[in-house]
Amino acid sequence: MTDGPPQRLQVDWPRCRARGLCHELLPEAIGIDPWGYPVVEQALPADMVRAAREAVRVCPLSALHLRDS
Amino acid sequence: MTPRPRILPGPWLLRTSRPDLATHRATHGELPTMTLARLQEVIGTGQVRGRGGAGFPFATKLGAVAGRRGRRHVVINFSEGEPVSHKDLALALNAPHLVLDGACISAQALDVRTIQLVLPRERHDLRDAIELALAERRRHDPRSRVRWDLHLAAPRFVSGEASAVTELIAGRTPLPVTSWEPTAMSGVRGRPTLLSNAETFAHVAALVLPGGDGYAALGTPEEPGTTLLTLVHGPEDIEVVEVPHGSPWEDVLTAEQACEPLLLGGYHGTWVPAGGLRGQLVSRAALASQGLALGAGVVMPLPRDTCPLELTAQLLRYLAAQSAGRCGPCLNGLPALAHAFEQAVAGLPGSDLDELTSHLVGRGACAHPDGTVRLVRSALLAFPEEAQSHSHGNCLTSGRVRESVR
Repeated sequence: MTDGPPQRLQVDWPRCRARGLCHELLPEAIGIDPWGYPVVEQALPADMVRAAREAVRVCPLSALHLRDS
Repeated sequence: MTPRPRILPGPWLLRTSRPDLATHRATHGELPTMTLARLQEVIGTGQVRGRGGAGFPFATKLGAVAGRRGRRHVVINFSEGEPVSHKDLALALNAPHLVLDGACISAQALDVRTIQLVLPRERHDLRDAIELALAERRRHDPRSRVRWDLHLAAPRFVSGEASAVTELIAGRTPLPVTSWEPTAMSGVRGRPTLLSNAETFAHVAALVLPGGDGYAALGTPEEPGTTLLTLVHGPEDIEVVEVPHGSPWEDVLTAEQACEPLLLGGYHGTWVPAGGLRGQLVSRAALASQGLALGAGVVMPLPRDTCPLELTAQLLRYLAAQSAGRCGPCLNGLPALAHAFEQAVAGLPGSDLDELTSHLVGRGACAHPDGTVRLVRSALLAFPEEAQSHSHGNCLTSGRVRESVR
C-alpha cells in the first residue's frame, strides 16, 4: 500500500455513459444512482486505493479519475 | 425579444445614464496606472465579491491568476445565464466604460494585452452598446496596446457558466466541461484566466478610479460599496437599481412586495417566505445567515394570485429543458425532479423529492443541477403550509380542489 495524501474518486460527468464497470469492480466505494451513474462521494479508505486504480483503468470512457482529496 | 429594463439612477455605477466616454471620464476621472500589488491592495480593502452569482472574492481570484506563470487571459462575462437578470445589460447601456476600465486595469496589472468579452448573442442592444463603447475608446486612444476580442454566447442558461465561456473562447463547443482546477488557475486552453462578471469589473473600476473614496464610503465597513439588483415586477416590467450594501429592503421593495413571498437570486436562487425581508438589510452576510443568497441580484416578488409551488413547478420544467444534456445525473435527474415536483403539486404520488435532490448535488460539470436543487429545497422550506395543502389536493392560492386521480 502506498502512503501519500488521501485520495478520492472523481467522475468526469460529461464523459461518463453509465457503463457501470466501476461499480461492479468496487461496489464498496462506488455506488450507483437510479439511472446507473456512479456515486463516489466520500474520501477513499487507504486500503481501497489499489482497487480504485483498477476501476479507473478499466473505465471504457476514461471518465473515472483518482485525485488527491 | 426580452424586454428592455427601466434603469434607475444610482449612487455610483449608475450615476449617469449617458454612456459616452466623455461623460464617463468627467464623472469618474482618468484611469490610473497601477502595479499588481497596488491593485490588490485597493481591491482587498474594497472587498469586491463576484457578482455573477457565486460571490467569490475578486482579490483571491486575481491573486491566483497572478500566481501562475505563462500567458494569462482576462475575460469579461456579459452573458447572464439567469434569464430575468438584466443588471449587466443595464451596465452595458448606461456605464459600459466602467466595466471596460475595470477589465483594463486588471489586464494591465496581469500583463495581458487582449481582453476577451463574452456577449449574449440574442441581446443586440447590449452588443451595439459595447461595440459603440469600444469604437469610442479606439478613436480616443488609437495607440492603445489593449486589444478587445468579442465572443457571442448562445441564449441558454448554462452558456454563462465559467467552463462554457472558456470553451467558447477556445473555439470549442460552448458547453460546460469538467474543470479539475479553478478557472483562475486553468481556464482558456488551460491558461490562468481572470474570468469575472461584467458588474464585478465595474465595482473594481469604481474603487480604482479617482473619487473611489466616495464609493467605498457607501455601504457598510464589512461590505463597502453598492450592488445592482434586477427587480422583476412583472414579465414586461423590469427595473435595474443600484443600492448601497446595508440598505433596508424597504428602500428597494414596495410596502406590498415586502409582505409577499419573493424569489431571490434568480431561477437558481432561494424563495423567501412572505415578509421574510422586512426589517432586513441588503447584505450578502445577513442573507447568508438566513440561508439566503443574493446570487445574481435578481429580486422577483411572487406575482399576485400565483401559487409559489405552481410557479416553482413551471421554473423546474424550464430548468430541466435548459440542461446541456451532457452529464447523466442532470440529463436524467432534472426531468425526473421536475416531474416529481409537478406530481407533488398536483397532490399525486411521485418520487421522493429529498431522495431525488440528493442524487443531483455536486454531480455535474457545472452548477446547473445544484442551482435547481437549491430552488426546490427553498420552495419546500419557505412554503410548508402550501406544500401540506397541495399534498391533500388543495391549493391555498386558487382554492381549487384538485381531482385525485388513481
